Amino acid sequence: MENEPVENSVLVIPCSGIGKVHGLISREAAYLVTDELAPGRTETMCLALLVKGDPEAVEAVRTHACIAIDGCAKACAEKNVQIAGGSVAKAIQVAEAFRNHRGARPGSATMLTDEGWTITREIAGSIVSEVERLRAGEEVAR
Amino acid sequence: MSAEITKVGIICCSGEAIPEGTISRLATRRVLELLRPNATVTLCLPLFLAGNEGERNFAKTHPTITIDGCGKQCAKWGTEEHSGPVNAALVVTDILGTRATGCHRSSRHAAQPEKEAVWAVAERIAAEVDNVLAETEPRDAAGAASGAQCSCSSPLPGGKLTISGTAVTIPGLSLIFEQCAERNIPADAAGCAALLDTVKIYHRILPEEEDEYRSALLAAYRDFRNGCKAAN
Repeated sequence: MENEPVENSVLVIPCSGIGKVHGLISREAAYLVTDELAPGRTETMCLALLVKGDPEAVEAVRTHACIAIDGCAKACAEKNVQIAGGSVAKAIQVAEAFRNHRGARPGSATMLTDEGWTITREIAGSIVSEVERLRAGEEVAR
Repeated sequence: MSAEITKVGIICCSGEAIPEGTISRLATRRVLELLRPNATVTLCLPLFLAGNEGERNFAKTHPTITIDGCGKQCAKWGTEEHSGPVNAALVVTDILGTRATGCHRSSRHAAQPEKEAVWAVAERIAAEVDNVLAETEPRDAAGAASGAQCSCSSPLPGGKLTISGTAVTIPGLSLIFEQCAERNIPADAAGCAALLDTVKIYHRILPEEEDEYRSALLAAYRDFRNGCKAAN
């Protein structure tokens, strides 16, 4: 169901920033997790719904563990979840993943290169690990 | 005060939960990069809550068009609530009808239906940009420069051709070639007409210039295709 997460699922919310490749990486990492790596255990939702203040979206972030993926330091995903009254269990900055890929050419805001997909998969893998910890009731390190 | 061309702000919902959100995002990028690169800017919708005052003033400093994936119209609502009134509000499902059925959320699965959907929405946005510009007075340079915009919204560099001894820049030529290659337009005489027709959508070519453009485009397209093969 669109924007209505199933019980006990973890909400993975990317910023989907439109100006830089980092926003696309955040978006695609969320899809890798929710569609392929951890379907059923994770869901994503439209961040724009939180900006709108949609009651169902606000209720969802208040009642589910949330992982925010942000493309830049403005941290729109993390901040909007917090503004809506949700708790961010783990905040991921895409730029952090570039530390192990200095000089990488990840693509553009429209399309990822192979290097971009490699970085995206690494982020998705780290998110899945956090999801497992959350579901196991362990504390998630920030 | 010197007059400057007003830039139209395009704000899309980028809705992550539905394929139409992905289409709204990619179509907006297509307009910024290729269709109206010098006339448009954008801003991330969530910045209205997470950003600063300059970002919240976006719709006050730009005539603005919103692109929403679905009838909830989060981009329109969010922009008008947090920034200012919009000049036009488009909805992907209204533009595409059932054509978005079968499209995917992730670009990993993008195929012909997704590409055609993005082009259709992008062309609709571009038409709306033209309408808004036709109705909007040019603003003074200082006013235009004060508005917030994404730092990466600058247009793509154009490709250069030499026509009648003069260098001519065609915005986003490499993207046009990429699109032609995806459509399997051959880099030979048989593909010339399709190549010229595609470029004419984005660049004015007079009838008497067509032969020369045809030759120059074919040569550049061959180089592009050879470069792609070399890279692979």
